[in-house]
Order: sequence, then C-alpha cells, then structure tokens
Amino acid sequence: MSFLLIIVPLIASAILLLARPAGVRQLALAVGVANLAIALFAAYSSVYDGSFNHEMSRDWVAQAGIKFSVGMDGISLLMVLLTNLLAPIIILSSQSRELDNEPRYYGLVLLMISALNGVFLATDGMLFYIFYELALIPIYFICAIWGGENRIRVTLKFFIYTFVGSLFMLVSLLFLYLKTPETHSFAWSALANVELTQSESIWVMLGFFFAFAVKMPIFPFHTWQPDTYVTAPTGGTMLLSGIMLKMGVYGAIRWMLPLAPEAWHTLVPYFMALAVIGIVYASIIAVKQTDLKRLIAYSSIAHVGLIAAGVLAWNKMGVQGSMIQMLNHGINVVGLFFIVDLIERRLDTRTLSQMGGIAKVAPRFAVLFMIIMLGAVAVPLTNGFPGEFMLLNGVWQYNNWLGAIAGLTIIFGAVYMLRAYGMAMFGPTNEHTAGFADLDTRETAVLGIIAALVILLGFFPNIALHITDASVNKIISAVQL
Amino acid sequence: MFAGLFGKRDILQGLTLLGIGAALGVSIMSLTSGNAGWGTAYISMIQFDQYAQAFTVITLISVLLLIGMSGWSFRSLQSSLGDHYALILFSLCGALCMFSFTNLVMLFIGIEILSIPLYVLAGSRRDDLSSNEAALKYFLMGSFATGILLFGMTLVYGSTGSFNTAAIGEAVSRGVASSGMLKAGVLLLMIGLCFKVSAVPFHFWAPDVYQGSPNTVTAFMATAVKTAGFAAFYRLFSTCFTSINEFWSVGLAAIAALTMIVANFTAIFQNDFKRMMAYSSISHAGYLLMAVLVAGQPGSAGAILLYAFTYSVATICAFSAYIIVAEPSGDGSFSAFNGLSKKQPLVALVMALSMLSLAGIPPLAGFFGKYFLFTAVMKQYPWLVVIAVINSAVSIYYYLKVIIAMYFSKEESTSEVALPSIIRWVMVAGVILIALLTILPGNVFGLI
Repeated sequence: MSFLLIIVPLIASAILLLARPAGVRQLALAVGVANLAIALFAAYSSVYDGSFNHEMSRDWVAQAGIKFSVGMDGISLLMVLLTNLLAPIIILSSQSRELDNEPRYYGLVLLMISALNGVFLATDGMLFYIFYELALIPIYFICAIWGGENRIRVTLKFFIYTFVGSLFMLVSLLFLYLKTPETHSFAWSALANVELTQSESIWVMLGFFFAFAVKMPIFPFHTWQPDTYVTAPTGGTMLLSGIMLKMGVYGAIRWMLPLAPEAWHTLVPYFMALAVIGIVYASIIAVKQTDLKRLIAYSSIAHVGLIAAGVLAWNKMGVQGSMIQMLNHGINVVGLFFIVDLIERRLDTRTLSQMGGIAKVAPRFAVLFMIIMLGAVAVPLTNGFPGEFMLLNGVWQYNNWLGAIAGLTIIFGAVYMLRAYGMAMFGPTNEHTAGFADLDTRETAVLGIIAALVILLGFFPNIALHITDASVNKIISAVQL
Repeated sequence: MFAGLFGKRDILQGLTLLGIGAALGVSIMSLTSGNAGWGTAYISMIQFDQYAQAFTVITLISVLLLIGMSGWSFRSLQSSLGDHYALILFSLCGALCMFSFTNLVMLFIGIEILSIPLYVLAGSRRDDLSSNEAALKYFLMGSFATGILLFGMTLVYGSTGSFNTAAIGEAVSRGVASSGMLKAGVLLLMIGLCFKVSAVPFHFWAPDVYQGSPNTVTAFMATAVKTAGFAAFYRLFSTCFTSINEFWSVGLAAIAALTMIVANFTAIFQNDFKRMMAYSSISHAGYLLMAVLVAGQPGSAGAILLYAFTYSVATICAFSAYIIVAEPSGDGSFSAFNGLSKKQPLVALVMALSMLSLAGIPPLAGFFGKYFLFTAVMKQYPWLVVIAVINSAVSIYYYLKVIIAMYFSKEESTSEVALPSIIRWVMVAGVILIALLTILPGNVFGLI
C-alpha cells in the first residue's frame, strides 16, 4: 500500500514526461484521485495503536546499509492523507489556466507528489533524505519554468538555500549512521538508539535544524520564501506552502528530536525564540502588505512558526496541535492561493487597493472566500480553531511568556485577513471589479470542497486527532529528554 | 587479448565498436565468474585481479560510448579516421596496463602508452592554433611529469631494491621507511601522479588542453584517462605505501582540499561550457583524491570505482549533448544552450540529468558516488568531508547554469540543432546507465 502511493504517481509522471500522451489533464487528475483512494483505503485498513501499518522493507544499496523501507503510523498517515487530498485539488485548480507544455507540468507535479509521499512514508534515514531532495528537483523546475518575473534569480536562491540546508542534514545522518553498531543501519530505530554525548548531539541537532528551518521556513532562514511564493505559478505555490513546508515540520517530529534528544534542553530555547520572533515579525509585515499573494506568503510564515513552536515544546498538546494544524493550514492556504489566482486571472492584478466591491458582483465567491478566510483566522467552529488553541496551549505549558507572545498571532491574523477581505470584497466597485464574473463550475468545485473541509474539520477535529493520538503518545514517550 | 584488434584497425567505426564490445564481453564474463581472469602475464608484471577487471569493465563501457559518439564528431576526417581510432585504442591499452600492473616498470610503460597517443590526438586538428597549443602544452607538461615520476621510481627502487609492488610494500612495512631516499621517492611519485590527474597546484595545463583538444578527445581525457590515472594512483599507494601513510597523507589531504576549492571556485566564473567542464573535471579529481588518502581501507576501492564510473558516464553524456549544440554553430558558451528544451527535449533532458548527477543531487547516480566516497573518508578525515560537502554545494551553481539556459531562458539561440541517430543511441545508452547506477549503485561498488 505504501509502495503504491509512491510508485503510481512516479510511473504516471514518467509516462507524461517521456511519452507526452494526449488527454494529459484527465490522466493527471485520474492519477491524483486514484492516489487519494489508495490513501483513504490505507487509512481505513490501518490500526491506530501507534504501530506502523502497511510496512515494506527491501534492501536497496545493501553495501551502504540503505534499505527501501516504508510504513505509516498515525503521524505519517495524516501527512499522506493531506498530500493526496491536496494533490487532486492542486491538479484541478491548475487547469483553470492554459500552460505551455502541459505534459511536462503535470509530469513534474506527479513526480513531486511521489517524492512527498516518499518523505512521509520513509522509515529509513537515507531513504528519507533521498526523497527529501528528490522533491526539490520538480518544484524547482515548476517554479523556474512557469514562474513570473525574476524567476531565474529567485528560484536559484531557493534551490541553493534548501539544498545547502539539507546537506547539513546529510552530514548529521552520516555521523549517526557510523555510530550505529556494526553492520551499520539507517533504520529509524537504530539511529534513535545511538547514544550521543552532549556536544555531539548539539551538532547533530543543528544539522537537522538547518535543513528543516530552511524548508519551513523559520526566521531568519525565511528570506527565500516570500519571493519564491510570489514568483511561482499558483500550482507551485500550493505545493510549496500546502505540502512541502510540512516536510520540515514532519522531519522535526520524526527525525530531529527523536534522534538527538540530548540537545533538547540546550538548543530548543533558542529555536523556540526564533520561532516566536518569526510569528510576530511575519505577522507585522503581513499587515503592511498591499500584494495579496505576498500577504498570504507572510501569513504562512507566521502560521508555520506557531506550528514549529508547538513541535519544539514537545508536549502532547503541542505536537497534537501541530499535527492537525498542518492538515488545516495545508487546506486553508491552498484555498487562499487559489483565490489569489482566481482574482488575478480576472483582474490582472494582485494589488489590494485596486480591488473592492467584489462581493456585490460575485456573491458565491464572497461566501466561499469568507469561510476559508475565517478558517485561516481560526474562528471557532472552523478548522483553524482547535489547532491554534492546542498549539498555544502547548507553548504556554512550555513557557507562559512565549505562549502569550505567540498568542498575538491570532490578533494579527484577524487584522490582516479581515483587512484584506474587506479591501477586496467590500466598498464600492471600480472599473476593474465591476465586471467580475462569479465562479465557474471548476472553481466552485475546488473552493466548495475546501470550504466543506474547513467546516467539517472545525466541527469534528477528532477525525484528525484520532488518527495521530496513539502515535504521538508513543513518539513523545520514546524520547528521553 | 587486444593485440588482435590493433592488427585490423580499419576505417570502420563499427569494427572498433565490435572489438571493444567483445573485449567488454570477455571482461564481464571473467569478472562475474569470479576467477582470477587471465591471471598474470609478462613474467608477473601484470595481474588481472578483481580490481583490474572491474576498472577494465567500466573503462571499456565509457570508451564504447565515446567511440559511438565519435562517429559523428569525426565525420569530417577523411584519411586520418583510422589513425584516430587506432590512437584511442592504443591509449586504452595503456590504461589497461595501469589497472593491472604489479611492477613499477609496467606502470611506467602503461602511462607512456596512454599518454603518447594522447599528445597526438590533442593536436589532431592540425590547422587549428588552439589544438596545436593544447598538444604542445600537454606534451611538455606530460613529459615533465613523466620525468618526475621516473625519478621517484628510481629512488624507491634504490631504497627497497625491487620494482615489484608487493615486494616494495613488504620492504616498506619492514621499516626501510625511515630512509630519506624512500620518502623523497614517494613524494616524487605523488607529485608526478598528481600532474597526471591534474590536481591543484599541478593543474595549470588542464583547462587549456581540454579546451584546445577536439571534443571527443577532451571527453576521452576527462573520463577514461582520468579513471586510469586514479586507478593506478590508488593501486600503487594501496599496495606499496599504506604502512607509511602518516608521512604522505597530510600533503595529499591538503592537495585534495585545494583541488576541490580552487577548481570549484574557478568554474563558477566560466562562461564557456567546455572550460567549465575542464574545471569541473579538476574538482572531481579532488573528490577522488580523498579515496586515495584512505587507500587500503575497506570500501575505498569500491568508492573510487563507483565514483569514476558515474562521473565518466555523466561527463560523456554531457559532451555528446555539447557536441551537437556547439560544433555546428561554433559557439560553446552557455548561451548556445538557450531554449534547447524546446528545440530538442531529449538532448536537454540528457544534459540536465548529467549535470544533476555531476552535482551529486540525490537520488541520481552521482550522489551515490559521493555518498560512498564520503562514508569511506568520514572516519579519518571528517574535516575533509565537510570541505567536500561545501564544495558540492558550490558546484551546483555552475551546473545549474546550463539547466537554466536550456529550460528557463526566454530568449532562444538562433542556431538549429539536429540530433543524429548515432548520438541519440549514445544518449539513450547513457541515460539507461545513469538510471541503472541510480537503482543499483551497490552492485558496482561491490565489484571490488
């Protein structure tokens, strides 16, 4: 089952890239939906007691101790569900635009999906690293081929930044690998069992932290992010913000903290401070933005800062909160970027001051935008609320002051989102927005699904919490701080 | 074994391909059957052990691809076509001696058989000034290096009393090590070989020679010749001088670090593809030197084999793409690649894969080459691994330049690019090899 999730999109992407068949859009969408079906079936047939389901393990490079071993516990499963839920949505929403060379575009998207599934499923350290890097290649091409102005410079920065970050992780992994008993192994349990001295574990954790902090991104490693998000085509932005940044958070939960727990007391206060600074800093910048896409990019830094803080606090509340908030943030941010794209297609601008009054001419759009926006603001009974509540609770347990400062994110979030919504949707119409067409079928479908998820998960957060509960308990108790 | 080939070198590329293919078949058969191959020959001056056979196989595969590529590149040659193939085969024969020597004399002869045809090949475009310059430079530097090498051998012979590598190794470990004559000999051998593999600071000849030589010859020098140099370097030092490695390893580690740093940072500033590849080839020599440092340690021989193979395949693929882009238009700068992905998607794909593999981006073959190399060196020289990692990050920048030009550049170069069918086959074979090395790198690593 796990293997299917990786291999099906991989084969499909090879077909699209090499054979360039007709009916590209339908094929890509069909593969996305098929993968979602596989993921749902895997979820249905899993046992939620913290153990790994659907495991598979084969030797890959036996001489180097690298095994192709995959499997899913609750934590992996939730991330896999998120990936494969968003995949068809992203593919569908990309189809609102005509792109040149569509086989190549959808082939790369599917390659990306395959690599992302691999990242979340790998239980072998080197396999994780390989998928982690493999995911970078398609997204780099997507952003650099179909991106907007300055794309070459911006994406080069993105590529080198993230690649260098993960090289440090490679060094950490190799170091741990050579510490495992003879015949060495990259298996998670073997790596986690390595006893490190205090100073060794600090270096190992720093190596992981650079990789994940760049990917998430955490302040001050975020400088590549706003430009890349703004320059990338919408599908690329969705992949980056909806799924790819979760690789970093997931990596911290699964690999960084369990593999070098000895350094938690020494390093985590600093990491935590960075995360909280990032929340406030990005929120303040978001308030000042005039470009809607850039505003959402900065809001994403703020949100992910809170998620990272919850993980770093490493208590039940914080980690559980980060898990469901990753799911919710993925859903919401993909919705928001789709809305940006939709407005940009109609108005040819993303500048808030040139919008206004859209609610009058496009009521259906206004309602769906409102629901998704409220989800991002974390209003009770939308999906954002339980996640943020648990995260803040977790950070509060770690340190009251940090919890209080992180809580500002809710206020700031409400300020910049409501401001953006108000400027775009209310007020008098102008000559641009007077002819704003309401949603067509495809757009209604995409936003409708997302809005439905926002409400569903707002009322029943237990659907997601139940999946991860036992696994989070297990991984927290397995790590001796 | 190969003498039969030289007898009937005709003007046919096909015959050469066939000959190398046959040789390859025999090598693979004896390698997989696990016996000692043809054993020893020439009064025990050559021993075709597992090590020699494995290197023979990978070099033959590289040369097979090269000969395939040359069919198009050499098409303008008329009367001298046969000479070209003959010279390449002679050179290859020298490489085989360098894989299998058990005697310093044989090593010397091997290096000479390898080098002398190359001097001629480098200057084979007689009416081209840069080609002549390349030949002259290569010849002068090469003979200078040979002199140093020979002097080193003499000193080693003087202090140990034997040319036989096993006997030297034994004598050295018994403690003749202290003698200054031996140390001077080892040092001179090291410098001579560093000249041959173009390690910094003995690399100054390489960029000009690489750029001036005809493209196929450059590809041959950057792959098969480099592999041969390293195989000999490793074989010599692992059998003879491991017991005194604290004496030479510091210097060699410094050379390796310098080679990587200088070559990578120079490559960033190149605008010409071929010159960039020359510096890239020097930087890869730096990575490979790391494996020589830990000569004799488990895993180091396999690492050097896999690395040389992945590097050779990717380089040949890159050159075959370069040839069809640059030769018709005469423009070898990066801008010649602009918009290639629209004109020739296959060529662009091959080039992109080779560049990413050379940069060592997982999961491509080059990554595993680096991976095995780094793990072999990690225990003894962690600082060198850190330098190597930083350097591979730097190298991405110039490898990506080509990809950016091919895929992302909006303006297109005006020249037409045609894809001859023979080059297409070379490319397909190269891509299949890269894919195989990606999926099964351990099988190559485990050959030795």
